[in-house]
Amino acid sequence: MKGKVIFGIVAVMVSVVLMSSHGFAQEIRAYMGLSPENNAKVVNFIKGKTGIQILQTFQSFGEIEAKVKSEAPNFNADMITGCGSPLAFMAKKNQWVVPYDSPAWKGVSSEFIDQDKNWFNISNFSFVLVGNKNKLQEKGLSMPKSWKELLDPKWKDQIVMPSPLSSGTANMIRFAFLALYGEEEGWKFLQALDKNIHHYTRSGNAPTDLVGRGEFLLGITSDENVKKRIDEGYPLIWSVPQEGIGYDGTFALIFKTTKKMAECKKVIDVMGTPEFSSMMAEIGYVTPRPAENKLYGKVTPKYIKLDLGYAAEMRPKWNDIWKEKFRTEFK
Amino acid sequence: MAEAGSFHVPRFGVRERVKAFLNAELVNILAAILFLLLVIFLLYPILAVLIKSIKDPEGLTLSYYVKFFTKGYYFRSLTNTLLLGLMNTLVCLIAGFCLAYLTTRGPLLLRKPLKLVAMMPLIAPPYLFAISLIILFGHNGIMTKAFGIKWSLYGFTGVVIAQTLAFIPLAYLMIENTLRSLNPNLEESAYDLGASEIRIIRTITIPLLAPGILKAGLLVFVMTIAEFGNAAILGGRTPFLAPDTYTMIIGEADFEMGSVLSVILIIPCIIIFFLHNYMLTGKKFTTIGGKPVASEPRKMTPLVKIPFILIASTVGMAIIVSFGMVLLASFTRILGVNNELVLMHIKNFDSNLAIYNSIKVSLIAALIGAMVGTLLAYVIVRGKFFGRSFIEMISLSGFALPGTVIGIGYLLAFNAPPLKLTGGIMILALNSVFRFLAVGVEAGISKLHQINIEIEEASADLGANFMVTFYKIVLPLMFPAFIAGFIYTFMTTLVSLSAVVFLVSPGFELAAVRIFDRAVYGEIGNASATTMKLVAIVILCMVILNYITKKTGFDVSQKKGSVTV
Repeated sequence: MKGKVIFGIVAVMVSVVLMSSHGFAQEIRAYMGLSPENNAKVVNFIKGKTGIQILQTFQSFGEIEAKVKSEAPNFNADMITGCGSPLAFMAKKNQWVVPYDSPAWKGVSSEFIDQDKNWFNISNFSFVLVGNKNKLQEKGLSMPKSWKELLDPKWKDQIVMPSPLSSGTANMIRFAFLALYGEEEGWKFLQALDKNIHHYTRSGNAPTDLVGRGEFLLGITSDENVKKRIDEGYPLIWSVPQEGIGYDGTFALIFKTTKKMAECKKVIDVMGTPEFSSMMAEIGYVTPRPAENKLYGKVTPKYIKLDLGYAAEMRPKWNDIWKEKFRTEFK
Repeated sequence: MAEAGSFHVPRFGVRERVKAFLNAELVNILAAILFLLLVIFLLYPILAVLIKSIKDPEGLTLSYYVKFFTKGYYFRSLTNTLLLGLMNTLVCLIAGFCLAYLTTRGPLLLRKPLKLVAMMPLIAPPYLFAISLIILFGHNGIMTKAFGIKWSLYGFTGVVIAQTLAFIPLAYLMIENTLRSLNPNLEESAYDLGASEIRIIRTITIPLLAPGILKAGLLVFVMTIAEFGNAAILGGRTPFLAPDTYTMIIGEADFEMGSVLSVILIIPCIIIFFLHNYMLTGKKFTTIGGKPVASEPRKMTPLVKIPFILIASTVGMAIIVSFGMVLLASFTRILGVNNELVLMHIKNFDSNLAIYNSIKVSLIAALIGAMVGTLLAYVIVRGKFFGRSFIEMISLSGFALPGTVIGIGYLLAFNAPPLKLTGGIMILALNSVFRFLAVGVEAGISKLHQINIEIEEASADLGANFMVTFYKIVLPLMFPAFIAGFIYTFMTTLVSLSAVVFLVSPGFELAAVRIFDRAVYGEIGNASATTMKLVAIVILCMVILNYITKKTGFDVSQKKGSVTV
């Protein structure tokens, strides 16, 4: 009797395990690093156009990079549908990806597609300055017009920004300032800014929410969720300071190891269509096919001139410098 | 069929011989299999971390360790972590002891409600307290605004408070179990002889409690320094090892330094584990006086009663308010910004799949864990082979290993053939099985010590073979230990974050990871609602389990008694 029970339990467990490892034909697994809501929008859009279900878990760009690096060359996903530039460049260099000359991506400018067709940039995102309207008013302060104004001691412990050690957005913020001021002056700026930063958050979008809830007055944050939070009723104001903002891409690519090449190609094709660009622009991204942007409107914001490849290469070294300079405090 | 007939006679002989062999050697075979499992799923991953930390492309190197000890920021992280662990352990033990003393020796009226409150945090993710502390004491928190508090929550103190509240129940549970199984006669005789209550506590209760307190201390220390949810959300600019390890792997994709941090994180745990084992050898006096006797509520002297109740009620209030805040947040649009009551977070069913996955993983883990634990206990107590105490030590060491380290170890060890488990569901369950094995094993061992081996020998003498004896006698008697292992593994797997965060794969989200991501992301409402759903489901599971065990004649509270000490 007992033996039967145990046998039954084991049988049930084995079948559960078998079932869960058994994939369905029209499903692909992808690493996807947009915000949870925006991931869902992309998944639904792709499903509507192709019938392909993308299985994904919300992970930050950094998490995806670590996963992919640790799994190489036995990836647990078929493709990436949203990662930062460091991983896209790394994947190309290590030949983890299959190039695909998609007809749907013809005519897209070179910022958005690799010249060897290894990666596809589905949308640019940037960072902006956000402030809490109510709290600023309460304190009789106004939004800074220039990044330099953030160095004013009146903002001491009132600014939050993400940490480049854990966030792709922050990595972009850092290399934008290093490009804007030049490396030597750039580090001096970041060090001066550090005096006013309360702490560095883990996620690139966290400052939007922290400032929105009034925990802090100002935040340097990903532009991804700003419009959405304002629509939800957070007392946020945002601005592009006069020096401009940096940008990074959101990259898609197909892993060499996938057994579902046809499905992956279909997904890439859809991402090259004007409709997909319109959908992404509606969320607030700057897209490969020009479309009116929900956050910035018809004008593209002023960009700081960047070299994404150089930034990807320099990141480990910049991380070491970062830790030396900003990590020894005890509060 | 014809063939089978022609081999009938010799095969019968072989079968008999195999049967006899099995009968005699089954314990050893079982032990060998279990030992192999322990090696593969506990020692090998740890070894993988160790190797990763001393290897670079050119060969063996200590350069990563040199970097750790020469760079201030890593070292700072270590000292902060140790300080956090020690402070937390101390506070948790004191609060846990006060609570346990009150629920076993204190006024009857207080016992049940206090116990209930003290156990509450066990069923929620530990970082629930980070969320509620931000709601209350953040820069824009309710209390901060109401009282104009100038204190900044983000930093060392905030983390200590959150971690303490999260792990008091662990300390309480262990101490309460030992305290309940202590024979109160000794204390009562001392009382009758005129000793003051303080003196009794100091010279009788606490010394008798030593094993329980030691174990509670070890467990709290390990959990505190490994579970990084609170430190990641509330740490501000204060570095701690566990979240640093997480960032090192997940943010910087630097597996070598991540492994170094892991090894460093293990060292204090191992030291305390051996210290604990060493101090417990030859201290078997806890069972003095045989069966526990229900203790009559004694009149506590105000000198003890007032401070104890003060401490207990502070802790109790903090826990209740924390849960209340999270409940409130899950019914409010944006707590603190727009306090309109809404159902949108609760009605957001995106998290259902994650919760379902968590339950599935926890059930698998609990089932395997309880089985492996019970069997291990059996071979440790009844086996007669060399190295039994080594197996015992390994199987108990799981709980001294920080979850982050196990997570990274599994990621490194099982990512390539022959044992490629990453991306699947089993890796999520297995890491919990071996991390939380100790509880089932200990419960099994203590149960087996109570069962006289003569019953088994009688069964064997009457002609039953090993399998029959095992099924008919040993298994039923060990069922409570099985249940103990099952419940503990189930509950901890459901809410634990530190290991699985490295192991989840696309399309298979777990509730604990999802809540953590949402909380870090800033979506307090969503995170709170998911937490509340998880808590409701755990409570439901406990009620069902309670019902089943009552129906089958077991009392769950009795099982919990055997859970720990």
